[in-house]
Amino acid sequence: MDVLAKTLIAGALGLAAGLWSAESALRLSRGAETTRIGAWSTAAKAGTPEADPYTRDTIERSGEIPLAPGEGLQLVARVDDSGTALNPHCVYRIGRKVPAARFWTIGVVDRRGFPIPNPAQRLVFRSSEILRDSDGGFAIAVSASAHAGNWLPIGVSEPFYLVLRLYDTPFSATATAIDKDALPRIVRESCR
Amino acid sequence: MKRAAATMRRTVIDIATIVLGAALTAGLVHIVAILIIPFYASNDAFARLSNLGPIDATIMLPEAGSPAARLFPNLDPAVAAAFCRYDLTDGPVRVKAPVARYEFSSLSFHTRRGQIYYALTDRAATQNALEALVVTDKQLRAMSAHDSEDETPLELRIVSATNQGFVLMRAFSQEPSLLAEAQERVRALKCQPEPQPQPR
Repeated sequence: MDVLAKTLIAGALGLAAGLWSAESALRLSRGAETTRIGAWSTAAKAGTPEADPYTRDTIERSGEIPLAPGEGLQLVARVDDSGTALNPHCVYRIGRKVPAARFWTIGVVDRRGFPIPNPAQRLVFRSSEILRDSDGGFAIAVSASAHAGNWLPIGVSEPFYLVLRLYDTPFSATATAIDKDALPRIVRESCR
Repeated sequence: MKRAAATMRRTVIDIATIVLGAALTAGLVHIVAILIIPFYASNDAFARLSNLGPIDATIMLPEAGSPAARLFPNLDPAVAAAFCRYDLTDGPVRVKAPVARYEFSSLSFHTRRGQIYYALTDRAATQNALEALVVTDKQLRAMSAHDSEDETPLELRIVSATNQGFVLMRAFSQEPSLLAEAQERVRALKCQPEPQPQPR
């Protein structure tokens, strides 16, 4: 086989493999520099010039407008406290506290980051409206069927993630400083 | 027999060379693709915002959960947002946003490439408003030449690395019924072009 043919074959294969790997890396990854704290993860540098190229590309392609470090911090949970993927057939209990912030919200989103519409029209709980216990702690039930107290409805079979957004928080630039125990716990209670 | 073995060995070497070359090319292509995507992404946030209205106009971001909001993932349903796009080619842009007491509002400044280069919250407000002048590096130098040497200028001047970009205002609603009020607050965001500063 002559050198030209070999070069052409290697080049074509390499081009295809390179493009495919770049595409799948962006489709599967959520940025290289995500910080994981317990069940929660965050790309604190998203949107800033310090963001890594994968995080930057993911943001560009999704159209997301991330929170600036000075505004707040967004954390996403795709698993529960035991590390098992969140399952729409289960009931989860979330609580009882969040890191220091002036306001916060906890909501349910689908895999692409959009709220899941529900008849109860409950997309998020705000720190300013949530029912609290006498000690100031709170508990949210996440399930497809109705629950007393703070209830975040999910679809019967649609996969979901939990999103915690902290506004005006001292942790927005130093997400790694958040203690695992300061974040809400996500405990699976029962499954259908 | 000997000849067959030699041909076989040549074939193995050929394949090995091709695989090695392909792997090297793939690595290079992967890195280059990842690095140049931001410069060719034609459907990034700025492009999507451009379809919603003209430059300098204050435009509400669609409400999270509505069909129009499918363009922008990870919007908080508890937060109202409005934006204006700017173009500094013909002069700086003055951004003004009234804020309410005890309510969270924020401004974030984004380059054409989607990088946030500045942000401030209602805590930085003076006289119940956030105000800033978005300028290019060149405009800042022209303006500084006119500044008095004894006093520091009172206004906040923010340098945008790109001529185009956008400013986003967010306002938090403390109750679902207060979302309309938060929307009113972000609707008051104003972006006004100013005359080009002349160098001295």
